[in-house]
Amino acid sequence: MTEEPTFDASAPITGKGRMDTAWGSDSADQATVAKPKAKTGQVFEQVYVPWEGTLNPRWMRNWAIFRHHVLGIIRKGHRPWGVPTKLVLIFVLIASMTDVALTLLFAVIGEPSLYELWGVGRNNLYAHVLGFFPRNMLFYPLVAALLVGGVISEDRSNGTSALYFSRPINRFDYVGMKFLAVATIQSLIIIGTLFLYYFADILSMGRGWAWILDTFPMFLTTVFCALLLIITYTSIGLALSSVSRGKFFPGIALLAVLLGTKTLAAIVEGLFDRSILYLLSPYDSLAHVGQALIGTNVMYNHPWIWSLVSVIAINAVSLYVLSVRVSSMEVTRE
Amino acid sequence: MYSAKTMSKDLIIETNALTKSYGPHVALDQLNLEVQRGATGLLGPNGAGKSTFFKTILGLIQATSGEGYVLGHDIRTEGLEIRSKIGYMPEYDALDDDMDAIHQVRYSGELLGMNPVVAMSRAHTAMEYVGLGELRYRPISSFSTGMKQATKLACAIIHDPELIIADEPSNGLDADSRQAMLDTLSNMVNTGNRSVLMASHLMDDVERVCENIVLLHKGKLAAQGRIEDLKAIDREIEIHVWGMANELEQALGKDGLEVRREGRMMRIRHDDEKTTHRILKCAADTGAQIRRMHEYEASLEDLFIVIMERFGYGVKSSEDLLASPAEARKVDAPESMGGSGA
Repeated sequence: MTEEPTFDASAPITGKGRMDTAWGSDSADQATVAKPKAKTGQVFEQVYVPWEGTLNPRWMRNWAIFRHHVLGIIRKGHRPWGVPTKLVLIFVLIASMTDVALTLLFAVIGEPSLYELWGVGRNNLYAHVLGFFPRNMLFYPLVAALLVGGVISEDRSNGTSALYFSRPINRFDYVGMKFLAVATIQSLIIIGTLFLYYFADILSMGRGWAWILDTFPMFLTTVFCALLLIITYTSIGLALSSVSRGKFFPGIALLAVLLGTKTLAAIVEGLFDRSILYLLSPYDSLAHVGQALIGTNVMYNHPWIWSLVSVIAINAVSLYVLSVRVSSMEVTRE
Repeated sequence: MYSAKTMSKDLIIETNALTKSYGPHVALDQLNLEVQRGATGLLGPNGAGKSTFFKTILGLIQATSGEGYVLGHDIRTEGLEIRSKIGYMPEYDALDDDMDAIHQVRYSGELLGMNPVVAMSRAHTAMEYVGLGELRYRPISSFSTGMKQATKLACAIIHDPELIIADEPSNGLDADSRQAMLDTLSNMVNTGNRSVLMASHLMDDVERVCENIVLLHKGKLAAQGRIEDLKAIDREIEIHVWGMANELEQALGKDGLEVRREGRMMRIRHDDEKTTHRILKCAADTGAQIRRMHEYEASLEDLFIVIMERFGYGVKSSEDLLASPAEARKVDAPESMGGSGA
């Protein structure tokens, strides 16, 4: 009878022992090779593995929600944004940098008249954020519509709201992080390219401190207007997403609200020469506030403070609808 | 730092006069519950208050009055702590179809506050445990209902919770998937030493996993206790008779035994240890042959019907039920079997 090899610390290391361990090549391998404990016919052995770790606090949970949405744009394994959304984001990002490219081009060419057209100035800063065509007719509302479409409505339709609310996440954090994530993606496009535009001008034209001190307040005001635009579009969009179960309706409804109200107000102004109806248009109210703050030509007849009140009211109503609808999201069933 | 109430070592959920009203509608009515460690089934027809009970103990809605504790935490003020320590498996779809299963489970861990790397590691372990180890990188949209249920369970157990609340875990599953789900839940209780609170309409499922049950009806507690103890309220002896069946039935009745009969098969209520002897004596006196004789164990479904129909909605522990009058415990055969149909 073959003596069974031992594998304790004092045992000599031999090739035979290693082969037995690795391959069970010996006739006595029944005794030395690990045998599965699963019963015949059982595909796998079900062993519960406990976890001794500790859970991180609230900020880590909130970071997880934010990260899930933002990283989903560029990485697999996070929120699965649709391919059309990603393509539109790339297109708008590139299109938003046309003024950057032209500033660099004309700075290199050294043609002052063309540079005047594209260089940093009151009107061009305003146009980068609040210009109607093409940015606020084609780019930014479309980006907002594609981003907000399913952010809350799909949690309702997929039932993934249960995944959030059965965890230690309160509704404020849930909606706050989703808001922040969507606003951040828009900010990367709108404010990110605004920064590029401004600093491209400084670098390409070799601007000095005097020019920077002169234009920086104007630049900061434009950033503020851009934030106002992003917050307003996100508020309306998420409110629409929260009242829906799909992503089509919120997207289309956001475009309808932004462009429809402007069209209606433009028709009324054309027919009756009254601009007051522009107060119903989120874009026009934002544009009016932007014109007043940045200091470009004001194109509306009513006081700009009315438009500011309108922007605040639109945001308040949207956030109210959002909070009410998110409060009604269920864990047990939808 | 939060303070946990000192609960009995064996209790995981305790409520005292817990009430939840929606306007005039009382969804939970003065609920006094004590759920033991281990596996407990939560039974009740639609509208019994199961969902409201879950939402209340998860701290998602405020109780109108009364108090409750889950794992020592107050449901009125410590909802976040409770939800950190339990794993909830919802009845309905709660997964993003466009995500891979492993990432969905990882994300559910991150939502609990797990570090992304740790969450991914635990997601692998959880997927392996529920039997989806080889399928974890597949999109959820390609999963069957059974696989989706298993993924939901993996999401619930990723942080190794002390208590798993499973809402209809075998809902919509075929026989094999159902077996796998019930085996997994049993395994968690028996080898993982975790507790499971399982709501189900399927009595058989509850009976296979749970030792204890809680019966709710119209927001009130109908019964709670060990299944074996509760079953004792409906014990009978079943005999198969050859010849002289009518005479035997009459003799048993005269002897004070309650009999339900269908043809040659009779069920006699098991009052005490002398019942068997009395049946045999009656058979000997009437000349009836008893071909088979065994204790008839009521199913959980029988028990459910008895409690719901006979006892109304008052609070019943197994002691209350066993102490109730015999007449109240009588379960008569349907009219087609010669009973009153009650």
